[in-house]
Amino acid sequence: MSIFTNKSEKLFIFFFFAIGLVIPLFLADNVFYINKISSMIIIAIFVMSLDYLVGRSGLITLGHAMFYGIGGYIFTIIAPEYETVNFWIYTFYVMSISAFVALIVGFIVLRTSGIYMIMITLALSQMCFYYFADSVDYGGFDGLFIYIKPETSIFGFNFLDLNNESHFYYLCLLSLFNCFVFFKVLMKSSFGRVIDALKENPERATALGYNIFHFRLIAYVIASSLAAYAGYLFALQYGFVNPSMMSWEVSATALVMALLGGLGSIYGAILGAFAYEGLHYVLEHVTQYWMFFMGCLIILMVLTLKNGLSGLLSNLVGDKENE
Amino acid sequence: MSNIVLEAENLCKFWGGLKALDEFSIKFYDKQIHSIVGPNGAGKSTLLNLLSGAYQATHGVIIYNGKPITSAKSYEFCRSGIGRSFQKTNIFHTQTCLENCCIAAQQQIGGSFKFFQNRNQNKFIIKAALSALEKVGLTERAKTKASQISYGEQRQLEIAMVLATNPKVILLDEPMAGMGHEESQTIVKLLMTLKSQYCIVLVEHDMEAVFELSDLMTVMVDGQHLITDSVDNIRSNPLVQDAYLGNDDEVF
Ligand SMILES: Nc1ncnc2c1ncn2[C@@H]1O[C@H](COP(=O)(O)OP(=O)(O)O)[C@@H](O)[C@H]1O
Ligand SMILES: [Mg+2]
Repeated sequence: MSIFTNKSEKLFIFFFFAIGLVIPLFLADNVFYINKISSMIIIAIFVMSLDYLVGRSGLITLGHAMFYGIGGYIFTIIAPEYETVNFWIYTFYVMSISAFVALIVGFIVLRTSGIYMIMITLALSQMCFYYFADSVDYGGFDGLFIYIKPETSIFGFNFLDLNNESHFYYLCLLSLFNCFVFFKVLMKSSFGRVIDALKENPERATALGYNIFHFRLIAYVIASSLAAYAGYLFALQYGFVNPSMMSWEVSATALVMALLGGLGSIYGAILGAFAYEGLHYVLEHVTQYWMFFMGCLIILMVLTLKNGLSGLLSNLVGDKENE
Repeated sequence: MSNIVLEAENLCKFWGGLKALDEFSIKFYDKQIHSIVGPNGAGKSTLLNLLSGAYQATHGVIIYNGKPITSAKSYEFCRSGIGRSFQKTNIFHTQTCLENCCIAAQQQIGGSFKFFQNRNQNKFIIKAALSALEKVGLTERAKTKASQISYGEQRQLEIAMVLATNPKVILLDEPMAGMGHEESQTIVKLLMTLKSQYCIVLVEHDMEAVFELSDLMTVMVDGQHLITDSVDNIRSNPLVQDAYLGNDDEVF
């Protein structure tokens, strides 16, 4: 059974990952661009997890960056400073701890909905931001540094060296692909059926016997742990974490990217993140007023494209139905 | 007479000063259709909302199979077998008719916490959903989006969803409102056949259908219980005629 919803999605994923696989071969000497694309992929993972929450589960949050930051901090705090640790084991640690944090946070924020949930997620993430910014142990505004990157051996086989930019790039690409497949499978599952139902009509879902709180909590935990994974990758790429990772601007920007890509389309998160970051990069070099032009362009795109860039793509390809 | 399945004792629902339901007591028997009639604003929907757990009672008790369930969570009512349809069509418009019934069936059949199994792999759910659609005569619409079927068909779908939850008690809030004659005839026939398996509570303005279907009838006015009796007795009761049936079609 196909995981794709429509033709445009299939085409995009195919081309994106085909190009993604070969592009380092053309950029072999240009480490700057490889790093740039890696960071865009990491952002895409983060935005995808947010899109699952907002676009698929109907839970609007302005505090998603909290988990992005937490992912980075957890690794930096729990990993021994001058010892090489295993990437996969620490992925497991980072995601489990974040999932646990998300369970508790979710328990609180999911008591509310709509505008109240936006406010409370924002408040909690700002609290977390100031906690790390004021903390002496965790380096305050400067944050913490990672001195030694993890190694990635599985059963003694070591095929990725995280100090090598191309290798790190491929790790990010693989992560994005897994993340996409994971969310698509989740969407098509029996669990996804309930999520679809309670997003569209929570009252009816309750009348049919579903305890919607449980389902929302699970969706929240899943999305938050993946956001933490993205933050963990970010920390590994740059070798540091600091509180700005979890500022509300990061949450808001990710929300704009999700909107730009087309809410709820999942693959639109990749489109949104790349379009936004690409635009940012180009405008930044053209004019010092890039923020102004960027704002105008994004408002224009969000207003003219009903379902974001993925909707536009869908129209161009001529999908019969764009879910 | 058959068993009492669902029972309300001194049930009250106040909206501020408004007594939408006032010290209301009623008993519903298995394998019967019990109709509730009364003018608009009488509190019929309020009663169904309380019986289905959608509203919390101000005070009073709801007893289901001999046990009080007044303080149960609203999602627990459906799980324990009390299914309801809504007066205002309440379906998943972006989903197909089949999917609407699958959502309804899945809660009872299970698998809602299967994260990696495709939703269409559970044949029991599909089967239950298809059989519910067939009962209300919507088999041909299975693959059509719920937003694209006619209003009458949406009302049928609403009932199919209740059936898909495999209930013991069915609370129907004006199922035939807005239906054409032919469509409501389908529903009348359907309810006739369902009677042998379920305890059915029917709120309905179509008096022809009510008289045809009901074993028992309750008339209520202003949140209060006026009378409960068999159809024939109600028809000939002067009290009811004065208070209610006398000015005939106008009130409905
Ligand atoms: N959610 C609500 N808030 C305030 N008043 C309500 C609400 N629901 C119903 N009512 C009031 O309760 C009374 C009974 O309404 P309802 O049960 O819908 O009557 P019926 O279904 O018999 O037409 C009406 O006066 C209505 O205005
Ligand atoms: Mg009503």
